[in-house]
Amino acid sequence: LPAGLSQWFPALEVLDVSGTGLTEMGTELLSLPCLHTLLAKNNRLGGPGSLPKGLEQAPLARSLRVLNLSGNRFSEVPPVVLQLRGLRSLSLGGNRLHGIPPDIQELHSLEFLYLGGNFITAIPPELAKLPSLRYLVLCDNKIQSIPPQLAQLHSLRSLSLHNNLLTYLPREILNLVQLDELSLRGNPLVVRFVRDLTYNPPSLQELAGRTIKTRNVPYTPSDLPESLVRYLSLASNCPNPKCGGVYFDSCVRQIKFVDFCGKYRLPLMHYLCSPECSSPFSSASQSSTSQSESDSEDEASVAAHRMQKVLLG
Amino acid sequence: MEQPVQTETWKAQSLEELIRILHQIFAEDKVSVEEVQALMESYESNPEEWLQYAKFDQYRYTRNLVDNGNGKFNLMILCWGEGHGSSIHDHTDSHCFMKILQGNLKETLFEWPEKKGNGEMTKKSERVLRENQCAYINDSIGLHRVENISHTEPAVSLHLYSPPFNTCNTFDQRTGHKHKVTMTFYSQFGERTVC
Repeated sequence: LPAGLSQWFPALEVLDVSGTGLTEMGTELLSLPCLHTLLAKNNRLGGPGSLPKGLEQAPLARSLRVLNLSGNRFSEVPPVVLQLRGLRSLSLGGNRLHGIPPDIQELHSLEFLYLGGNFITAIPPELAKLPSLRYLVLCDNKIQSIPPQLAQLHSLRSLSLHNNLLTYLPREILNLVQLDELSLRGNPLVVRFVRDLTYNPPSLQELAGRTIKTRNVPYTPSDLPESLVRYLSLASNCPNPKCGGVYFDSCVRQIKFVDFCGKYRLPLMHYLCSPECSSPFSSASQSSTSQSESDSEDEASVAAHRMQKVLLG
Repeated sequence: MEQPVQTETWKAQSLEELIRILHQIFAEDKVSVEEVQALMESYESNPEEWLQYAKFDQYRYTRNLVDNGNGKFNLMILCWGEGHGSSIHDHTDSHCFMKILQGNLKETLFEWPEKKGNGEMTKKSERVLRENQCAYINDSIGLHRVENISHTEPAVSLHLYSPPFNTCNTFDQRTGHKHKVTMTFYSQFGERTVC
Protein backbone atom coordinates (compact mmCIF):
# COMPACT_ATOMS: atom_id res chain seq x y z
CA LEU A 1 0.00 0.00 0.00
CA PRO A 2 1.39 3.41 -0.86
CA ALA A 3 2.97 5.24 2.04
CA GLY A 4 0.93 8.18 3.23
CA LEU A 5 -2.38 6.59 2.17
CA SER A 6 -3.96 7.20 5.54
CA GLN A 7 -2.57 10.72 5.65
CA TRP A 8 -4.06 11.79 2.34
CA PHE A 9 -7.34 9.90 2.73
CA PRO A 10 -8.10 9.71 6.43
CA ALA A 11 -11.84 9.32 5.82
CA LEU A 12 -11.43 6.37 3.46
CA GLU A 13 -14.37 3.94 3.73
CA VAL A 14 -13.84 1.65 0.76
CA LEU A 15 -10.44 0.48 -0.45
CA ASP A 16 -10.10 -1.74 -3.51
CA VAL A 17 -6.58 -2.97 -4.22
CA SER A 18 -7.64 -6.03 -6.20
CA GLY A 19 -5.44 -7.26 -9.01
CA THR A 20 -2.39 -5.22 -8.06
CA GLY A 21 0.04 -8.05 -7.31
CA LEU A 22 0.30 -7.14 -3.63
CA THR A 23 2.26 -9.55 -1.47
CA GLU A 24 1.51 -7.71 1.72
CA MET A 25 -0.69 -4.93 3.00
CA GLY A 26 1.28 -2.72 5.30
CA THR A 27 0.84 -0.54 8.30
CA GLU A 28 -1.11 2.09 6.37
CA LEU A 29 -4.18 -0.03 7.11
CA LEU A 30 -3.77 0.57 10.82
CA SER A 31 -4.47 4.28 10.49
CA LEU A 32 -7.69 4.13 8.48
CA PRO A 33 -10.38 4.59 11.15
CA CYS A 34 -13.39 4.70 8.82
CA LEU A 35 -12.62 1.78 6.53
CA HIS A 36 -15.59 -0.59 6.26
CA THR A 37 -14.83 -2.37 2.98
CA LEU A 38 -11.47 -3.80 1.97
CA LEU A 39 -11.22 -5.62 -1.36
CA ALA A 40 -7.88 -7.25 -2.07
CA LYS A 41 -8.75 -10.13 -4.39
CA ASN A 42 -6.47 -11.57 -7.05
CA ASN A 43 -3.19 -10.59 -5.45
CA ARG A 44 -0.25 -12.57 -4.10
CA LEU A 45 -1.20 -12.42 -0.45
CA GLY A 46 -0.80 -15.46 1.74
CA GLY A 47 2.62 -15.21 3.27
CA PRO A 48 3.25 -14.39 6.92
CA GLY A 49 3.34 -10.61 6.50
CA SER A 50 0.21 -10.33 4.40
CA LEU A 51 -1.71 -8.41 7.01
CA PRO A 52 0.02 -5.89 9.26
CA LYS A 53 0.87 -6.64 12.87
CA GLY A 54 -1.35 -4.91 15.36
CA LEU A 55 -4.41 -5.10 13.13
CA GLU A 56 -6.49 -6.45 16.00
CA GLN A 57 -5.90 -3.26 17.96
CA ALA A 58 -6.44 -0.90 15.06
CA PRO A 59 -9.74 0.95 14.60
CA LEU A 60 -10.18 -1.28 11.54
CA ALA A 61 -10.86 -4.24 13.82
CA ARG A 62 -14.14 -2.66 14.82
CA SER A 63 -15.06 -0.76 11.66
CA LEU A 64 -14.42 -3.31 8.92
CA ARG A 65 -17.59 -4.93 7.59
CA VAL A 66 -16.51 -6.46 4.28
CA LEU A 67 -13.23 -8.24 3.57
CA ASN A 68 -12.55 -9.92 0.24
CA LEU A 69 -9.31 -11.86 -0.01
CA SER A 70 -10.40 -14.24 -2.77
CA GLY A 71 -7.93 -15.32 -5.44
CA ASN A 72 -4.85 -15.15 -3.26
CA ARG A 73 -2.50 -17.76 -1.78
CA PHE A 74 -3.68 -18.20 1.77
CA SER A 75 -3.16 -21.74 3.06
CA GLU A 76 -4.94 -20.90 6.30
CA VAL A 77 -7.38 -18.26 7.44
CA PRO A 78 -5.10 -15.55 8.84
CA PRO A 79 -5.71 -15.59 12.60
CA VAL A 80 -5.90 -11.79 12.77
CA VAL A 81 -8.94 -11.89 10.47
CA LEU A 82 -10.83 -13.71 13.20
CA GLN A 83 -10.39 -10.67 15.41
CA LEU A 84 -12.23 -8.31 13.09
CA ARG A 85 -15.26 -8.27 15.35
CA GLY A 86 -17.53 -6.21 13.17
CA LEU A 87 -17.03 -8.28 10.02
CA ARG A 88 -20.24 -9.08 8.15
CA SER A 89 -18.84 -10.49 4.95
CA LEU A 90 -15.69 -12.56 4.44
CA SER A 91 -14.51 -14.06 1.21
CA LEU A 92 -11.51 -16.35 0.89
CA GLY A 93 -12.65 -18.09 -2.30
CA GLY A 94 -10.00 -19.49 -4.61
CA ASN A 95 -7.18 -19.73 -2.09
CA ARG A 96 -5.32 -22.76 -0.72
CA LEU A 97 -7.17 -23.36 2.52
CA HIS A 98 -7.10 -26.90 3.88
CA GLY A 99 -9.44 -26.28 6.77
CA ILE A 100 -11.58 -23.80 8.67
CA PRO A 101 -10.37 -22.73 12.12
CA PRO A 102 -12.84 -23.37 14.97
CA ASP A 103 -12.24 -19.79 16.09
CA ILE A 104 -14.30 -18.70 13.10
CA GLN A 105 -17.05 -18.55 15.71
CA GLU A 106 -15.44 -15.34 17.00
CA LEU A 107 -16.90 -13.47 14.03
CA HIS A 108 -20.27 -13.01 15.72
CA SER A 109 -21.65 -10.62 13.13
CA LEU A 110 -20.74 -12.67 10.08
CA GLU A 111 -23.57 -12.95 7.55
CA PHE A 112 -21.75 -13.94 4.40
CA LEU A 113 -18.93 -16.49 4.23
CA TYR A 114 -17.45 -17.53 0.89
CA LEU A 115 -14.90 -20.35 1.02
CA GLY A 116 -15.49 -21.95 -2.38
CA GLY A 117 -12.59 -23.20 -4.45
CA ASN A 118 -10.18 -24.31 -1.76
CA PHE A 119 -8.94 -27.68 -0.45
CA ILE A 120 -11.09 -27.87 2.65
CA THR A 121 -11.69 -31.43 3.84
CA ALA A 122 -13.81 -30.93 6.93
CA ILE A 123 -16.11 -28.40 8.56
CA PRO A 124 -15.67 -27.66 12.26
CA PRO A 125 -18.94 -27.79 14.24
CA GLU A 126 -18.00 -24.37 15.65
CA LEU A 127 -18.99 -22.90 12.30
CA ALA A 128 -22.56 -23.44 13.46
CA LYS A 129 -22.09 -20.86 16.18
CA LEU A 130 -22.48 -17.95 13.81
CA PRO A 131 -26.00 -16.74 14.61
CA SER A 132 -26.29 -14.27 11.76
CA LEU A 133 -24.86 -16.40 8.97
CA ARG A 134 -27.16 -16.26 5.97
CA TYR A 135 -24.99 -17.29 3.06
CA LEU A 136 -22.42 -20.08 3.29
CA VAL A 137 -20.43 -21.16 0.25
CA LEU A 138 -18.34 -24.31 0.48
CA CYS A 139 -18.50 -25.47 -3.14
CA ASP A 140 -15.47 -26.84 -5.00
CA ASN A 141 -13.68 -28.24 -1.97
CA LYS A 142 -12.89 -31.75 -0.68
CA ILE A 143 -15.49 -31.97 2.06
CA GLN A 144 -16.53 -35.49 3.02
CA SER A 145 -19.18 -34.81 5.60
CA ILE A 146 -21.27 -32.07 7.13
CA PRO A 147 -21.44 -31.91 10.91
CA PRO A 148 -25.04 -32.20 12.13
CA GLN A 149 -24.50 -29.09 14.27
CA LEU A 150 -24.67 -27.04 11.09
CA ALA A 151 -28.44 -27.30 11.41
CA GLN A 152 -28.13 -24.75 14.21
CA LEU A 153 -27.50 -22.01 11.66
CA HIS A 154 -31.02 -20.68 12.00
CA SER A 155 -30.44 -17.68 9.77
CA LEU A 156 -28.99 -19.68 6.90
CA ARG A 157 -30.74 -18.91 3.62
CA SER A 158 -28.33 -20.29 1.11
CA LEU A 159 -25.91 -23.20 1.36
CA SER A 160 -23.61 -24.09 -1.49
CA LEU A 161 -22.06 -27.56 -1.30
CA HIS A 162 -21.66 -28.56 -4.91
CA ASN A 163 -18.53 -30.31 -6.17
CA ASN A 164 -17.35 -31.89 -2.93
CA LEU A 165 -16.93 -35.46 -1.69
CA LEU A 166 -20.19 -35.87 0.21
CA THR A 167 -21.79 -39.28 0.22
CA TYR A 168 -24.66 -38.34 2.53
CA LEU A 169 -26.05 -35.48 4.57
CA PRO A 170 -27.00 -35.32 8.22
CA ARG A 171 -30.75 -35.64 8.65
CA GLU A 172 -30.66 -32.46 10.75
CA ILE A 173 -30.30 -30.55 7.53
CA LEU A 174 -34.09 -30.77 7.30
CA ASN A 175 -34.24 -28.42 10.28
CA LEU A 176 -32.88 -25.47 8.34
CA VAL A 177 -36.28 -23.87 7.86
CA GLN A 178 -34.98 -20.59 6.44
CA LEU A 179 -33.06 -22.32 3.66
CA ASP A 180 -34.00 -21.14 0.17
CA GLU A 181 -31.10 -22.55 -1.81
CA LEU A 182 -29.12 -25.74 -1.45
CA SER A 183 -26.74 -26.98 -4.12
CA LEU A 184 -25.54 -30.57 -3.97
CA ARG A 185 -24.56 -31.50 -7.51
CA GLY A 186 -21.16 -33.01 -8.16
CA ASN A 187 -21.10 -35.04 -4.94
CA PRO A 188 -20.89 -38.83 -4.89
CA LEU A 189 -24.13 -39.13 -2.92
CA VAL A 190 -24.93 -42.76 -2.25
CA VAL A 191 -27.96 -44.05 -4.03
CA ARG A 192 -28.46 -47.29 -2.23
CA PHE A 193 -29.13 -48.07 1.38
CA VAL A 194 -25.99 -48.33 3.43
CA ARG A 195 -25.94 -49.66 6.92
CA ASP A 196 -22.94 -48.64 8.93
CA LEU A 197 -22.66 -50.91 11.90
CA THR A 198 -19.49 -49.39 13.24
CA TYR A 199 -20.01 -48.12 16.71
CA ASN A 200 -17.02 -46.78 18.58
CA PRO A 201 -17.67 -46.97 22.31
CA PRO A 202 -17.88 -43.52 23.84
CA SER A 203 -14.87 -42.00 25.55
CA LEU A 204 -14.96 -41.17 29.27
CA GLN A 205 -15.24 -37.51 28.30
CA GLU A 206 -18.27 -38.29 26.18
CA LEU A 207 -19.93 -40.33 28.91
CA ALA A 208 -19.35 -37.55 31.43
CA GLY A 209 -20.66 -35.00 28.95
CA ARG A 210 -23.78 -37.04 28.29
CA THR A 211 -24.50 -37.36 31.98
CA ILE A 212 -24.09 -33.65 32.61
CA LYS A 213 -26.47 -32.82 29.79
CA THR A 214 -29.16 -35.41 30.40
CA ARG A 215 -29.21 -34.95 34.16
CA ASN A 216 -28.99 -31.17 33.86
CA VAL A 217 -26.00 -31.02 36.16
CA PRO A 218 -25.50 -27.30 36.67
CA TYR A 219 -22.20 -25.71 35.78
CA THR A 220 -20.82 -22.27 35.07
CA PRO A 221 -17.95 -21.28 32.78
CA SER A 222 -15.79 -20.76 35.85
CA ASP A 223 -16.26 -24.39 36.94
CA LEU A 224 -14.60 -25.89 33.91
CA PRO A 225 -11.72 -25.25 31.52
CA GLU A 226 -12.88 -23.29 28.46
CA SER A 227 -12.30 -26.27 26.18
CA LEU A 228 -14.77 -28.39 28.15
CA VAL A 229 -17.35 -25.60 28.25
CA ARG A 230 -17.13 -25.51 24.49
CA TYR A 231 -17.32 -29.29 24.25
CA LEU A 232 -20.52 -29.35 26.27
CA SER A 233 -22.09 -26.76 24.01
CA LEU A 234 -21.64 -29.06 21.03
CA ALA A 235 -24.02 -31.75 22.26
CA SER A 236 -26.50 -33.03 19.71
CA ASN A 237 -29.89 -34.39 20.63
CA CYS A 238 -30.71 -37.95 19.76
CA PRO A 239 -33.49 -37.86 17.14
CA ASN A 240 -35.37 -40.63 18.87
CA PRO A 241 -38.11 -38.68 20.68
CA LYS A 242 -38.42 -41.40 23.30
CA CYS A 243 -34.76 -41.22 24.10
CA GLY A 244 -34.05 -37.64 25.07
CA GLY A 245 -30.38 -38.49 25.09
CA VAL A 246 -27.49 -36.54 23.68
CA TYR A 247 -24.28 -37.49 21.96
CA PHE A 248 -21.04 -35.76 21.12
CA ASP A 249 -18.74 -37.77 18.87
CA SER A 250 -19.80 -41.31 19.54
CA CYS A 251 -22.93 -42.46 17.82
CA VAL A 252 -24.50 -45.06 15.62
CA ARG A 253 -24.89 -44.00 12.03
CA GLN A 254 -27.51 -45.13 9.61
CA ILE A 255 -28.11 -43.79 6.14
CA LYS A 256 -31.73 -43.56 5.23
CA PHE A 257 -33.29 -42.06 2.19
CA VAL A 258 -35.79 -39.28 2.36
CA ASP A 259 -38.12 -39.46 -0.56
CA PHE A 260 -39.28 -36.30 -2.30
CA CYS A 261 -42.52 -37.33 -3.92
CA GLY A 262 -40.83 -40.19 -5.74
CA LYS A 263 -38.55 -37.84 -7.63
CA TYR A 264 -35.45 -37.26 -5.55
CA ARG A 265 -33.94 -39.50 -2.95
CA LEU A 266 -31.57 -37.73 -0.63
CA PRO A 267 -29.36 -39.90 1.53
CA LEU A 268 -29.60 -38.54 5.03
CA MET A 269 -27.46 -39.74 7.85
CA HIS A 270 -29.26 -40.50 11.05
CA TYR A 271 -27.19 -40.34 14.18
CA LEU A 272 -28.46 -42.27 17.14
CA CYS A 273 -26.87 -42.09 20.53
CA SER A 274 -26.51 -45.84 20.95
CA PRO A 275 -27.31 -49.11 19.19
CA GLU A 276 -30.24 -49.61 21.55
CA CYS A 277 -31.87 -46.46 20.29
CA SER A 278 -34.03 -46.84 17.23
CA SER A 279 -34.66 -44.21 14.59
CA PRO A 280 -37.97 -42.37 15.13
CA PHE A 281 -38.83 -43.11 11.53
CA SER A 282 -38.83 -46.87 11.42
CA SER A 283 -38.39 -49.97 13.49
CA ALA A 284 -34.90 -51.27 13.96
CA SER A 285 -35.70 -54.49 12.18
CA GLN A 286 -35.94 -53.21 8.60
CA SER A 287 -33.86 -55.20 6.21
CA SER A 288 -31.36 -53.55 3.98
CA THR A 289 -33.20 -54.50 0.82
CA SER A 290 -36.61 -53.37 1.97
CA GLN A 291 -38.46 -51.17 -0.49
CA SER A 292 -39.76 -48.93 2.24
CA GLU A 293 -36.51 -47.16 2.88
CA SER A 294 -38.28 -43.90 2.39
CA ASP A 295 -39.43 -42.25 5.59
CA SER A 296 -43.15 -42.01 5.91
CA GLU A 297 -43.11 -40.04 9.16
CA ASP A 298 -45.10 -36.81 8.89
CA GLU A 299 -42.37 -34.54 10.19
CA ALA A 300 -39.84 -35.86 7.70
CA SER A 301 -42.15 -35.69 4.71
CA VAL A 302 -43.22 -32.11 5.41
CA ALA A 303 -39.62 -30.99 5.73
CA ALA A 304 -38.70 -33.05 2.70
CA HIS A 305 -41.42 -31.45 0.61
CA ARG A 306 -40.09 -28.04 1.49
CA MET A 307 -36.56 -29.17 0.70
CA GLN A 308 -37.65 -30.27 -2.74
CA LYS A 309 -38.20 -26.66 -3.73
CA VAL A 310 -34.84 -25.68 -2.34
CA LEU A 311 -32.70 -28.30 -4.03
CA LEU A 312 -30.77 -27.24 -7.09
CA GLY A 313 -30.22 -30.47 -8.99
CA MET B 1 -36.76 -24.68 -53.67
CA GLU B 2 -37.42 -22.16 -50.93
CA GLN B 3 -35.81 -18.76 -51.08
CA PRO B 4 -33.10 -18.67 -48.43
CA VAL B 5 -33.54 -16.00 -45.78
CA GLN B 6 -31.35 -13.06 -46.64
CA THR B 7 -28.73 -12.81 -43.98
CA GLU B 8 -26.91 -9.56 -43.51
CA THR B 9 -23.78 -8.88 -41.55
CA TRP B 10 -24.74 -6.49 -38.82
CA LYS B 11 -22.50 -4.56 -36.49
CA ALA B 12 -24.22 -3.19 -33.42
CA GLN B 13 -22.26 -0.24 -32.11
CA SER B 14 -24.22 0.07 -28.90
CA LEU B 15 -26.78 -1.81 -26.84
CA GLU B 16 -29.46 0.57 -28.05
CA GLU B 17 -28.53 -0.14 -31.66
CA LEU B 18 -28.51 -3.89 -30.96
CA ILE B 19 -32.05 -3.67 -29.65
CA ARG B 20 -33.15 -1.54 -32.59
CA ILE B 21 -31.75 -4.03 -35.11
CA LEU B 22 -33.30 -6.93 -33.22
CA HIS B 23 -36.70 -5.30 -33.50
CA GLN B 24 -36.09 -4.93 -37.21
CA ILE B 25 -35.05 -8.55 -37.67
CA PHE B 26 -37.93 -9.95 -35.64
CA ALA B 27 -40.48 -7.84 -37.48
CA GLU B 28 -39.94 -10.17 -40.45
CA ASP B 29 -41.73 -13.51 -40.83
CA LYS B 30 -38.55 -15.51 -41.01
CA VAL B 31 -35.59 -15.00 -38.72
CA SER B 32 -32.18 -16.58 -39.22
CA VAL B 33 -30.50 -18.01 -36.17
CA GLU B 34 -27.05 -17.35 -37.64
CA GLU B 35 -27.96 -13.71 -38.27
CA VAL B 36 -29.10 -13.12 -34.71
CA GLN B 37 -26.08 -14.91 -33.28
CA ALA B 38 -23.69 -12.88 -35.44
CA LEU B 39 -25.47 -9.66 -34.49
CA MET B 40 -25.30 -10.44 -30.77
CA GLU B 41 -21.64 -11.34 -31.09
CA SER B 42 -20.86 -8.14 -33.00
CA TYR B 43 -21.90 -5.92 -30.10
CA GLU B 44 -18.83 -5.12 -28.04
CA SER B 45 -19.89 -5.09 -24.44
CA ASN B 46 -19.77 -1.63 -22.89
CA PRO B 47 -20.70 -1.73 -19.20
CA GLU B 48 -21.82 1.91 -19.21
CA GLU B 49 -24.65 0.89 -21.51
CA TRP B 50 -25.98 -1.96 -19.40
CA LEU B 51 -24.92 -1.25 -15.83
CA GLN B 52 -28.41 0.01 -14.99
CA TYR B 53 -29.84 -3.45 -15.70
CA ALA B 54 -27.11 -5.40 -13.92
CA LYS B 55 -28.61 -5.93 -10.48
CA PHE B 56 -26.92 -8.64 -8.50
CA ASP B 57 -28.38 -10.74 -5.72
CA GLN B 58 -26.19 -12.15 -2.99
CA TYR B 59 -27.69 -15.64 -3.02
CA ARG B 60 -28.37 -16.53 -6.65
CA TYR B 61 -28.25 -15.35 -10.23
CA THR B 62 -30.79 -12.72 -11.30
CA ARG B 63 -32.82 -12.17 -14.49
CA ASN B 64 -33.27 -8.55 -15.46
CA LEU B 65 -35.59 -7.74 -18.34
CA VAL B 66 -34.22 -5.20 -20.78
CA ASP B 67 -36.67 -5.31 -23.69
CA ASN B 68 -39.79 -7.33 -24.49
CA GLY B 69 -39.41 -7.17 -28.26
CA ASN B 70 -43.03 -6.32 -29.06
CA GLY B 71 -43.96 -9.78 -27.87
CA LYS B 72 -41.59 -11.49 -30.33
CA PHE B 73 -38.67 -11.95 -27.97
CA ASN B 74 -37.43 -11.25 -24.48
CA LEU B 75 -34.04 -9.62 -24.04
CA MET B 76 -32.64 -9.83 -20.55
CA ILE B 77 -29.44 -9.48 -18.60
CA LEU B 78 -28.43 -12.18 -16.15
CA CYS B 79 -26.10 -11.41 -13.25
CA TRP B 80 -24.09 -14.23 -11.75
CA GLY B 81 -22.22 -13.80 -8.49
CA GLU B 82 -19.17 -15.91 -7.74
CA GLY B 83 -20.14 -19.59 -7.71
CA HIS B 84 -23.71 -18.95 -8.90
CA GLY B 85 -25.14 -21.49 -11.31
CA SER B 86 -28.39 -22.59 -12.84
CA SER B 87 -30.04 -25.98 -12.70
CA ILE B 88 -30.14 -28.11 -15.86
CA HIS B 89 -33.03 -26.75 -17.86
CA ASP B 90 -34.82 -26.83 -21.21
CA HIS B 91 -36.06 -23.88 -23.28
CA THR B 92 -39.75 -24.59 -23.78
CA ASP B 93 -39.47 -24.91 -27.57
CA SER B 94 -37.87 -21.49 -27.91
CA HIS B 95 -34.61 -20.23 -29.32
CA CYS B 96 -32.07 -19.11 -26.74
CA PHE B 97 -29.09 -16.87 -27.42
CA MET B 98 -26.60 -16.15 -24.66
CA LYS B 99 -23.85 -13.54 -24.98
CA ILE B 100 -21.24 -12.88 -22.31
CA LEU B 101 -21.00 -9.22 -21.34
CA GLN B 102 -18.52 -9.61 -18.49
CA GLY B 103 -16.55 -12.44 -16.98
CA ASN B 104 -16.92 -16.07 -18.07
CA LEU B 105 -19.68 -18.67 -17.94
CA LYS B 106 -19.35 -22.42 -18.20
CA GLU B 107 -22.01 -24.13 -20.29
CA THR B 108 -22.49 -27.89 -19.83
CA LEU B 109 -24.69 -29.61 -22.43
CA PHE B 110 -26.77 -32.65 -21.51
CA GLU B 111 -28.72 -35.20 -23.52
CA TRP B 112 -32.44 -35.38 -22.87
CA PRO B 113 -33.08 -38.12 -20.32
CA GLU B 114 -34.77 -41.34 -21.49
CA LYS B 115 -38.54 -41.43 -21.10
CA LYS B 116 -38.53 -43.98 -18.34
CA GLY B 117 -34.98 -43.29 -17.39
CA ASN B 118 -33.86 -43.46 -13.83
CA GLY B 119 -30.17 -42.93 -14.14
CA GLU B 120 -27.57 -40.23 -14.19
CA MET B 121 -28.01 -37.77 -17.07
CA THR B 122 -25.46 -37.91 -19.88
CA LYS B 123 -23.12 -34.99 -20.30
CA LYS B 124 -22.57 -34.15 -23.95
CA SER B 125 -19.95 -31.46 -23.74
CA GLU B 126 -18.86 -28.42 -21.80
CA ARG B 127 -17.12 -25.18 -22.63
CA VAL B 128 -16.24 -21.88 -21.07
CA LEU B 129 -17.67 -18.88 -22.87
CA ARG B 130 -15.53 -15.75 -22.88
CA GLU B 131 -16.48 -12.10 -23.01
CA ASN B 132 -18.47 -11.14 -26.11
CA GLN B 133 -18.94 -14.71 -27.28
CA CYS B 134 -22.53 -15.71 -28.06
CA ALA B 135 -23.88 -19.24 -27.67
CA TYR B 136 -27.12 -20.66 -29.04
CA ILE B 137 -29.32 -23.50 -27.86
CA ASN B 138 -32.79 -24.90 -28.41
CA ASP B 139 -34.58 -28.04 -27.22
CA SER B 140 -33.53 -30.10 -30.24
CA ILE B 141 -29.90 -29.49 -29.40
CA GLY B 142 -30.31 -30.52 -25.81
CA LEU B 143 -30.39 -29.22 -22.27
CA HIS B 144 -27.80 -27.19 -20.49
CA ARG B 145 -26.51 -25.93 -17.16
CA VAL B 146 -24.90 -22.51 -17.03
CA GLU B 147 -22.63 -21.52 -14.18
CA ASN B 148 -20.13 -18.91 -13.10
CA ILE B 149 -17.30 -21.10 -11.90
CA SER B 150 -15.14 -18.18 -10.83
CA HIS B 151 -14.62 -17.70 -7.13
CA THR B 152 -13.37 -14.17 -7.64
CA GLU B 153 -15.26 -12.57 -10.53
CA PRO B 154 -18.96 -11.97 -11.06
CA ALA B 155 -20.30 -12.54 -14.58
CA VAL B 156 -22.95 -10.79 -16.66
CA SER B 157 -24.69 -12.24 -19.71
CA LEU B 158 -27.22 -10.99 -22.27
CA HIS B 159 -29.96 -13.44 -23.21
CA LEU B 160 -32.47 -13.41 -26.01
CA TYR B 161 -35.39 -15.84 -26.00
CA SER B 162 -37.80 -16.17 -28.87
CA PRO B 163 -40.69 -16.70 -28.49
CA PRO B 164 -40.71 -15.43 -24.90
CA PHE B 165 -41.52 -17.98 -22.18
CA ASN B 166 -41.82 -17.88 -18.42
CA THR B 167 -41.91 -21.54 -17.48
CA CYS B 168 -39.42 -24.29 -18.17
CA ASN B 169 -38.38 -27.66 -16.78
CA THR B 170 -35.45 -28.21 -14.47
CA PHE B 171 -33.77 -31.61 -14.33
CA ASP B 172 -32.09 -33.55 -11.55
CA GLN B 173 -28.70 -34.61 -12.89
CA ARG B 174 -28.68 -37.82 -10.84
CA THR B 175 -32.05 -39.17 -11.94
CA GLY B 176 -33.20 -37.24 -14.99
CA HIS B 177 -36.47 -36.40 -13.31
CA LYS B 178 -37.93 -33.08 -14.39
CA HIS B 179 -39.81 -30.43 -12.53
CA LYS B 180 -41.68 -27.49 -14.02
CA VAL B 181 -40.74 -24.07 -12.71
CA THR B 182 -41.92 -20.52 -13.29
CA MET B 183 -39.24 -17.96 -13.90
CA THR B 184 -39.46 -14.43 -12.57
CA PHE B 185 -37.66 -11.19 -13.20
CA TYR B 186 -35.51 -9.59 -10.55
CA SER B 187 -35.92 -6.28 -12.33
CA GLN B 188 -37.65 -4.98 -15.43
CA PHE B 189 -36.39 -2.13 -17.56
CA GLY B 190 -33.94 -1.19 -14.81
CA GLU B 191 -36.50 -1.17 -11.98
CA ARG B 192 -36.39 -3.73 -9.21
CA THR B 193 -39.46 -5.97 -9.31
CA VAL B 194 -41.03 -6.32 -5.89
CA CYS B 195 -42.39 -9.85 -5.36
